[in-house]
Amino acid sequence: MPERKEAPADGEVDMMHFPAPEFDVREYARSAAASHRDELGLDHYKTNPLTAETLRLLRYLQIIERATMTHLRGVLVTATHKDARITAFLTTWAFEKYWIADAFEQIGLAHQPEGTDVDRAPFITPPERTIREAIYANIVGLPMIAVHMTLGTIDTWLSQAAYRRLIALEPHPQLTKTIERFLELKERQLAFFEPQSRYRLTESAQARKITKRRLTKTPWPIGAMAEPPHETEFFFQRLFGSARELVSEIDSRIDSLPGQSGLSLIGKAARL
Amino acid sequence: MAFDIDKYTSTSKKVVWGDLDFDQFKSNPLPESTLRSLRYMADIEYHTVCYLRDLLVTPSHKEADVSAFMTMWNREEFWHGEALSAVLAAHGVTLDFDQLKATRLKLGWKDRLDPIKQSLLGNIVGKDFIAVHMIWGAANEWSAVAAYNRMAELEQHPVLAELLRRIAKQEARHVAFYATQARERLGKSKKAQVLARFALKNAWGPVGSSVMEPAEVTHVMGHIFAGPEGLREIRKLDEHISRMPGLEGLTIVENSLRNKYGYIAA
Repeated sequence: MPERKEAPADGEVDMMHFPAPEFDVREYARSAAASHRDELGLDHYKTNPLTAETLRLLRYLQIIERATMTHLRGVLVTATHKDARITAFLTTWAFEKYWIADAFEQIGLAHQPEGTDVDRAPFITPPERTIREAIYANIVGLPMIAVHMTLGTIDTWLSQAAYRRLIALEPHPQLTKTIERFLELKERQLAFFEPQSRYRLTESAQARKITKRRLTKTPWPIGAMAEPPHETEFFFQRLFGSARELVSEIDSRIDSLPGQSGLSLIGKAARL
Repeated sequence: MAFDIDKYTSTSKKVVWGDLDFDQFKSNPLPESTLRSLRYMADIEYHTVCYLRDLLVTPSHKEADVSAFMTMWNREEFWHGEALSAVLAAHGVTLDFDQLKATRLKLGWKDRLDPIKQSLLGNIVGKDFIAVHMIWGAANEWSAVAAYNRMAELEQHPVLAELLRRIAKQEARHVAFYATQARERLGKSKKAQVLARFALKNAWGPVGSSVMEPAEVTHVMGHIFAGPEGLREIRKLDEHISRMPGLEGLTIVENSLRNKYGYIAA
């Protein structure tokens, strides 16, 4: 971790300079992954289709990846949007997530009769929360960035675990290839979120406190609210029902974040 | 004419400039006043995310097409910022993320309350508010296309002109999205027309006027829209807007420039 400068006059501005210093946001933006359609090998699914369970999970994963914009809304109404380095990252992150969701959708469509319409249904989101969120977050101010970076960290951990389990349960060669690529993307996103989160939580007691409170109120995975509860139940049951140690593993990683120990967030969400 | 969102997203690219000979800026540099305008443009391209924020707090983002568009649009605009800042860098002017942050921090409380106001308003008025955002977006994108093309003509610098035309081409696709959305939504609802008319008439300002110093807005608008040619462009913008359902007779661009930013055509 880099050393902090001696009490800068405008401490708030200066502090934002340091988290995740090794992460080159410009390079990330430059080499972001766009459409995966050419590499999906959709023909393979025609001869070797996925099971109904895997397709149901892919649909769920698609919805939660697509819920990015709803999540971003909650993020951008706060002090987080002031930091141009973070918004440059989030802009690219949303772009990558869009194309991951698109890939899942394409795989789903490959299992349907030709010409099936894509799902353009409106998102399910609780509208009144934004107002509360904006008011609350602006009273809190800067520590909200820690909250958002921590949410990003944990959500990426959970996605990674889910992706790995998905191909462990159904080691379909083409799906495995695709998912492994997405795991790389998530790993790079994590290289921004995690150091940001750790740095900001280390720096501020208020950030630790507020983050802890917010984490317990967050429905996991992020985007779960866009789907009926039974789909989230299926997500956890199918992926982690016979691999509960993975849930504990994520929870112990969360324990390692400054001031966030003992939450058992994923264990509680999974209810296994 | 429908806007094909699938086609748009799959062809959305970051603007490229690596093939352009930026060394020409060394032997043939841009004048100070042009750099000042470019700086403004780069700034507002980067600030698109702030505008995205305003869009997201209203029901707009709940529609999958709108959401898909916004993801790509936000990224394309970010890259316009990067491209313009590369031109500035070739002239020894650096524009880094921290400076952008400082601009955003300066917005202070007014900015902080805006999403709340918008959210309250947007969620009370509901779907009709999307039309306001769409016509607002269309007006901004039309202005951007006009500004980039005008600047390319004014400057007659081969490298800059090519880059600006590439950017303008992407902006034109944004126009297509916003204008299609606005026309459809305004056409369907009288209430949306009334709302949009009210909002544009009372609150519209040139792109960037909510984030940049008024003196900068005055400089840029005066620079880009100078002379009878410039005035013609401004009027074209107003014509585009006033051709929308329920917005007949509006001259918001000319009014705003004349009344608030001391614009004189001649």
